[in-house]
Amino acid sequence: MKEKNFHSIHITKDKCIGCVHCLTACPTKAIRVRDGKAQIIDELCIDCGECLRVCPYDAVHSHTTSFAALDHFEYKVAIPSTVLYGQFGAANLPTEILSALRRGGFNEVYDLSSICELNCAAVEEYLNEHPRPRPFITATCPVVVRLIQGRYPALCGQILPIEPPREIAAKILRTILPKALNIAPEKIGIIHITPCPAKMVSINSPATLNKSYLDGAISIRDIYPQILNALRKSQEDALMRHLFPETQFSGIGMGWSLSGGETRGLKNHQAVAVSGIQDTMRVLDQVEAGLLQDIDLLECTVCPDGCVGGPLEVENRFLAKSRILQLVAAAGERAVVDPKDVSRLYHKNFLSFDHPVSPVESRPLDRDPTKAIRKAKRREKIFVDLPRKDCGVCGAPDCRTLADDVVRGLAHVDDCPFVKKEKR
Amino acid sequence: MAAEDVYRQEFPVKGGDFAKAGTVACRIKELLKDLGLDVKTVRRAAIAAYEAEMNVIMYAWQGRMDLAVSPEEVRITVDDQGPGIADIELAMTEGYSTATPEMRELGFGAGMGLPNIKRNSDVFHVDSQTGQGTRLEIIIRTNGHKP
Repeated sequence: MKEKNFHSIHITKDKCIGCVHCLTACPTKAIRVRDGKAQIIDELCIDCGECLRVCPYDAVHSHTTSFAALDHFEYKVAIPSTVLYGQFGAANLPTEILSALRRGGFNEVYDLSSICELNCAAVEEYLNEHPRPRPFITATCPVVVRLIQGRYPALCGQILPIEPPREIAAKILRTILPKALNIAPEKIGIIHITPCPAKMVSINSPATLNKSYLDGAISIRDIYPQILNALRKSQEDALMRHLFPETQFSGIGMGWSLSGGETRGLKNHQAVAVSGIQDTMRVLDQVEAGLLQDIDLLECTVCPDGCVGGPLEVENRFLAKSRILQLVAAAGERAVVDPKDVSRLYHKNFLSFDHPVSPVESRPLDRDPTKAIRKAKRREKIFVDLPRKDCGVCGAPDCRTLADDVVRGLAHVDDCPFVKKEKR
Repeated sequence: MAAEDVYRQEFPVKGGDFAKAGTVACRIKELLKDLGLDVKTVRRAAIAAYEAEMNVIMYAWQGRMDLAVSPEEVRITVDDQGPGIADIELAMTEGYSTATPEMRELGFGAGMGLPNIKRNSDVFHVDSQTGQGTRLEIIIRTNGHKP
């Protein structure tokens, strides 16, 4: 179902004490404290999860798929993000983690590293065929796509229109599994396992597909205990399993979750990788000002160090990163995908967006330009008289935003404790 | 046009302040979005403002960017105190640049600055006094047809 303004991030009112942590952390200034509780402004939230990271009271909740929601599927398939391989220390190989995940309640589990390699090859082919514009921006991070739609609308056409690995994998499985298993397509549940709250958004209201090929996303945080348990119970089996590796992991795709991993397999194009929400915004500002045209591909992920820094992972991201780097080194440059297959799928448009990314409606001060100009002037006037302490007590993240809220009729100058004091 | 229908704001720019490169252009861009200008106009203004700001940072000692926005046009006037431009016609040639090797190493000074402003504006005037400074006048019409 395509829902308008679906969000994964929610505030649990009972736990929220109305402090300023999330207010200041929000990169799009989407949070206000009203009546002592944090509220999220729907149109501004991009589900990046920065608020979830900083809340000391566990009051920010991300809505991902529950296990109970899988019950109505006859056949359950999991396609975990490669981040999962970095969550259980060096003693557990990816094969064991996948098999533990299967025992955690799935009929089948598929590795994504090969599809990551496929995606990279398709991206290369697209860049070969499209010399302009530059740079293209990868579409893997759903938050980046949402950020561009809202804040950098001029860059919508620069998002490279190849679906990310999770959707390609689900699409392939959706094509082959019903026939292979002789089960009705709607009885097969394909679930992504992820460290990212925003995947739920890209599944429920996809920006580039008519409908997502995935049925849901379970957070690594939620499924971690089950996998850990299964791993503990099967240490003996695991020893044997080492000798019969079931899955051919792709060396090119293995490091996909690390910043720079998406573009590591590019042969003939220059790529730059950016991670972290603030740095991503800084670079997108530059691209919007016409810079970086000598770069072919810009990989942006809003989590620090890439998806491996996702807010819903369990292992600390430095250990996870180090573990994944070991796996990348062990897998080397091993390619498991035949370039001819990629080319065939690419030219059938099997890997493409259903439709281009379109800007979301902007939020000017007023629809009438003359009124907007007057409001902007008033806003500047209000701002100069504010203390510029950006304390957040008024409920807005900073003085500039309070001034903006005032002219939009969403707040009052008296909300500022300093302004009040002076008046008395 | 009535004065109350024009939004004006001044932005100082310091020569040599590469760390702040692009901040004024960014502020201008955000402002134009708040004023509800369409995506294409905002992008053209953002590119022109960025190039103009960089010219001050790279070559001048100090400068000022004056923004005036009406429903019909975005006007950016840039005044700097600096070495000036000896041959304006030459400076308007794509690829011509007097940037130092250090600047080029940082990715600046490809000689696309002034031509790029011209390409993205509807009216563009350059006035310069060698040894004193340069004045750029950039107008982008909100109903402009340039790409």
